[in-house]
Amino acid sequence: MSRRYDSRTTIFSPEGRLYQVEYAMEAIGNAGSAIGILSKDGVVLVGEKKVTSKLLQTSTSTEKMYKIDDHVACAVAGIMSDANILINTARVQAQRYTFSYQEPMPVEQLVQSLCDTKQGYTQFGGLRPFGVSFLFAGWDKNYGFQLYMSDPSGNYGGWKAAAVGANNQAAQSMLKQDYKDDISREEAVQLALKVLSKTMDSTSLTSEKLELAEIFLSSSGKVKYQVCTPDDLGKMLVKYGVTQPPAEA
Amino acid sequence: MSIFEYNGSALVAMVGKNCFAIASDRRLGVQLQTIATDFQRIFKIHDKLFLGLSGLGSDTQTLYQRLVFRHKLYQLREERDMKPETFASLVSAMLYEKRFGPYFCQPVIAGLGEDDKPFICTMDSIGAKELAKDFVVAGTASESLYGACESMFKPDMDHEELFETISQALISSVDRDCLSGWGGHVYVVTPTEVTERILKGRMD
Repeated sequence: MSRRYDSRTTIFSPEGRLYQVEYAMEAIGNAGSAIGILSKDGVVLVGEKKVTSKLLQTSTSTEKMYKIDDHVACAVAGIMSDANILINTARVQAQRYTFSYQEPMPVEQLVQSLCDTKQGYTQFGGLRPFGVSFLFAGWDKNYGFQLYMSDPSGNYGGWKAAAVGANNQAAQSMLKQDYKDDISREEAVQLALKVLSKTMDSTSLTSEKLELAEIFLSSSGKVKYQVCTPDDLGKMLVKYGVTQPPAEA
Repeated sequence: MSIFEYNGSALVAMVGKNCFAIASDRRLGVQLQTIATDFQRIFKIHDKLFLGLSGLGSDTQTLYQRLVFRHKLYQLREERDMKPETFASLVSAMLYEKRFGPYFCQPVIAGLGEDDKPFICTMDSIGAKELAKDFVVAGTASESLYGACESMFKPDMDHEELFETISQALISSVDRDCLSGWGGHVYVVTPTEVTERILKGRMD
């Protein structure tokens, strides 16, 4: 291991690797997982909440899912404070585009713009990369529903189903087996919950440990980002056989 | 000729009992020539907040786009809609930023605040707020509008009577102003619904 090349983010190692970027990805491998699945009538994002404690003040805001604009949302895996900065940047970029062009920013352009920001931290300034991976889910009029995954290096790709965070390799291979091209949004929710429950470390899955969000077109044709309430999520977990129903008293 | 009279406009907002109404004319002109008869001066910021912008058309559109930018970010970060009083402060601050090269607009803000209490206000082009309990006016027809509102307004009108009053005040005022008119656009907002109506006036 060439340790002498670790300290500077902006230097290649003799083997042609950027160690700081790889260490950032390592940090994400220890964080709560998130899964995204693209269906023909929507995109589903599921996240595992790592911070669960009875002492935590419950509020309506989410830990893993964030709205970037009316038509784009993202799920986060990694260092939350880094994620907050990037989410804010993404929100401002989306609004700046809308201000200039008076239409919503195409999803890929938003992802690309954010990834350009992330790439900057691997090439100049001597600052460390962001320790976050994102799953972007959105809709635009050019390409319909889309799912993108991005990592600390600034690389991104469009995916039909993707997983980030802890055990993402296992989740990814499970998704590869069970994903079908014409999957519906309801089936996608079911698949996502099933895969997440199998790859999560905890033994019993409750709605407090999960977050579920969907992007779909409402009946009026507008894009809608909806986070599932804990009650509905609990019912869904029982319906899909992921958790056992509460024992009769 | 004043830059504020280049395009022509008329705006009025009135408070009723647990509701408000905001109305504008529809003419866009270039001095004496009428260019459009469906120009939008009133914009919805969210279900309980409306913004009317009178004055130079180009500045009203740009100012509105900038406010949408700021409001959308506020909504994403705070996960709630902006209160009308807060929005008015935002508009005022944005206008004052351009103190020595201002936007040639006079905004009228109308919304339902805490507990659905109606809130209206107007400000000059550099952000001096004027809060009122009854009605606010703006635009080239503002002098006529002041007179019409003062005589027709009474407090605690319900939404139907408010609609009639604001419509009569608007139409009668724009009829005495050559730069505004070509109908009216009225929004009446209660805690439960928003009604949008187009008025037919003297089309001249």
